[in-house]
Amino acid sequence: MPTVSVQRDLLFQALGRSYTDEEFNDLCFEFGLELDEVTSEKDIISKEKGEGRAEGASETVLYKIDVPANRYDLLCLEGLVRGLQVFKERINLPRYEKIIPAKDEGQKLIITEETVKIRPHAVAAVLRNITFTKERYDSFIDLQEKLHQNICRRRALVAIGTHDLDTISGPFTFTAKTPAEIKFKPLNQSQEYTASQIMDLYRTDSHLRQYLHLIEDKPRYPVIFDSNGVVLSMPPIINGDHSKISLKTRNVFIECTGTDMTKAKIVLDIIVAMFSEYCEKQFTVEAVEVVCPNGKTHIYPELAYRKDKVKPELINKKLGISETPSNLAKLLTRMCLSSHVTGNGNNIEIEIPPTRADVIHACDIVEDAAIAYGYNNIQMVIPKTYTIANQLPLNKLTELLRLDLAAAGFTEALTFALCSTEDIADKLGMDISATNAVHIANPKTAEFQVARTTLLPGLLKTVAANRKMPLPLKLFEISDIVVKDPTKDVGARNYRHLCALYYNKSPGFEIIHGLLDRVMQLLEVPPNKENGYTIKATEGSAFFPGRCAEIFARGQSVGKLGVLHPDVITKFELTMPCSALEINIEPFM
Amino acid sequence: FTEMPTDNFVESSFWNFDALFQPQQHPARDQHDTFFLRDPAEAPELPTNYMTRVKKVHSQGGYGSQGYKYEWKVEEARKNLLRTHTTSASARALYHLACQGKFTPVKYFSIDRVFRNESLDATHLAEFHQVEGVVADRGLTLGHLMGTLQQFFTKLGISKLRFKPAYNPYTEPSMEIFSYHEGLKKWVEVGNSGVFRP
Repeated sequence: MPTVSVQRDLLFQALGRSYTDEEFNDLCFEFGLELDEVTSEKDIISKEKGEGRAEGASETVLYKIDVPANRYDLLCLEGLVRGLQVFKERINLPRYEKIIPAKDEGQKLIITEETVKIRPHAVAAVLRNITFTKERYDSFIDLQEKLHQNICRRRALVAIGTHDLDTISGPFTFTAKTPAEIKFKPLNQSQEYTASQIMDLYRTDSHLRQYLHLIEDKPRYPVIFDSNGVVLSMPPIINGDHSKISLKTRNVFIECTGTDMTKAKIVLDIIVAMFSEYCEKQFTVEAVEVVCPNGKTHIYPELAYRKDKVKPELINKKLGISETPSNLAKLLTRMCLSSHVTGNGNNIEIEIPPTRADVIHACDIVEDAAIAYGYNNIQMVIPKTYTIANQLPLNKLTELLRLDLAAAGFTEALTFALCSTEDIADKLGMDISATNAVHIANPKTAEFQVARTTLLPGLLKTVAANRKMPLPLKLFEISDIVVKDPTKDVGARNYRHLCALYYNKSPGFEIIHGLLDRVMQLLEVPPNKENGYTIKATEGSAFFPGRCAEIFARGQSVGKLGVLHPDVITKFELTMPCSALEINIEPFM
Repeated sequence: FTEMPTDNFVESSFWNFDALFQPQQHPARDQHDTFFLRDPAEAPELPTNYMTRVKKVHSQGGYGSQGYKYEWKVEEARKNLLRTHTTSASARALYHLACQGKFTPVKYFSIDRVFRNESLDATHLAEFHQVEGVVADRGLTLGHLMGTLQQFFTKLGISKLRFKPAYNPYTEPSMEIFSYHEGLKKWVEVGNSGVFRP
């Protein structure tokens, strides 16, 4: 969930009234936002670096608001205010207009075919006669960052560049050149660098280094320059210093390049829709002509208004409410989906603005109607569906066994399913390749390298964490283990295992054996070879030699029991003898 | 409610994400939030006909939706992971229901383990349990969902509930359920729910 940080007072000023924190919290709740935190820059620095460093930092109250991941139109103060104002019926949703300049008067962006292999798509637009203040400028930069992190998938899909149009002159060219051919002064630097030098320069920059890999190994890097060869930007890494925007900038040239055309268009629409508020002719955007390598031209931004028709009965039926068509139209209009009743009053025509790219199906419209109606105003009913309840047989068996094992004096443990490779291999005297375990590609710590193939390490670690408890420690767990299985559609499967251990001054093999007998008695498996269970002496790497047995039920091996080897006990940081039992209970279904 | 089979911690991205309309370039599918597997890295088998339909809805739209309009790749869908929610089991269960030919209303539930690639702290674990419930029938409304949740939570001793608009890739409308915690004297999120997208 993206979090947008806004200055509380600016927010209230734009909303036209003040709220208490609680009132604003309620408003957010209704709309689908979450007021995550009320803080200030001073508080943030205090928490991160200590009170001393926070001296002199701003105490302006900041609201941190959590925004749903699919609402790109709420990622900045301007968008939030607009959304909330329309929701509260204080304003009408502004109409975003694109102005197409007369031929040869507008800006042009020419894409060459070298970009096809690395970053094929580009769109652009111009914001004319815009007025920036410090807050608006910060918001402008913030929105770009939020979009980069969110829909742009960290600049991989789309990268945004914004430039002071008065410092550059079109037509602009978007092409790809070899690193040696690209040389310019990057944003906020004092000298020119070639592209390869720029890669090295930003390798240590905590923010930019994560984007270098997107183009680093390619033979050609994307670059945009103007008719005088001045470099605007090298997407997705950095803009040029020459065209950087300042508070005095009046005309902005915005370019979005990327590998996903749909998203590039959405991103451009959002930026211009949000900030055209500050243009002299409010909510107007000057279009740019983009020429593709094949000669075709397109006009951007699209700023398309889509029309859709939804039957009022559908909305009422899906929500369990009964509102008149005109009321429903009013509700939708409050959600920035301007609507009116058409036909004989039996249809609603909806206009979806370019800022609501998240509306892609009638169900999205239904949800917005519900939000405006107020979820908590909907009457709750129970479905009239008649079904018969059922428990999964394996889980039912597990539940029954758990009760009886507890009755036998054993305590249940719930342990992690993920562990380190040593836990299931080295510490049990085995090689990891023999375990047939499922390995994780990106563990954050060594504790989560593999999925467990046996419940034993989990229980032993539990004992180690509870050394101070009175002896004997009798633990059990009935839970899933994971192994590779090429016959399953995903290549791995779970098995339900039962594991019990006895930890005391003496190993207690007879107690564990007795538990096995009790479990078999409960499972109605008689102690004979033909149609029941037997145990046979065997060797096990985790077990004491001569004190280990394999358990066979109806001819099939289901597990082992025995006294644990002292090496195993020591490796799990334990000091007393221990006997254990582990079986697969699935054959007993 | 009938219990669904959930005895597979290992799941393919297809069932965990794609079949649930979560786009392939979604941040949650990154290395940060999901445990991807090194071995077995890919699911050998995916249901072909169903997969074709899923691919179409993501890339071109379908069933009334415009879709996401991006290039859907089968290699992404094959990537194995440790499931991040038991909704993947619900997806499988609903698929089996659809395959049986004649529709019968059902109510399913499950309670099982899920995995998220997070650092451990006071409120986060890398593995935890989820309770999941699904009702499928004709003529169900958002009101029915709220009613079912109210009854469910009341049985757990939580009866003061409020519903909040939320977002899930696979449900629309979606709701977060909040309940008033007497001890903390504030509203706490206790669940997430929604009506599956057509």
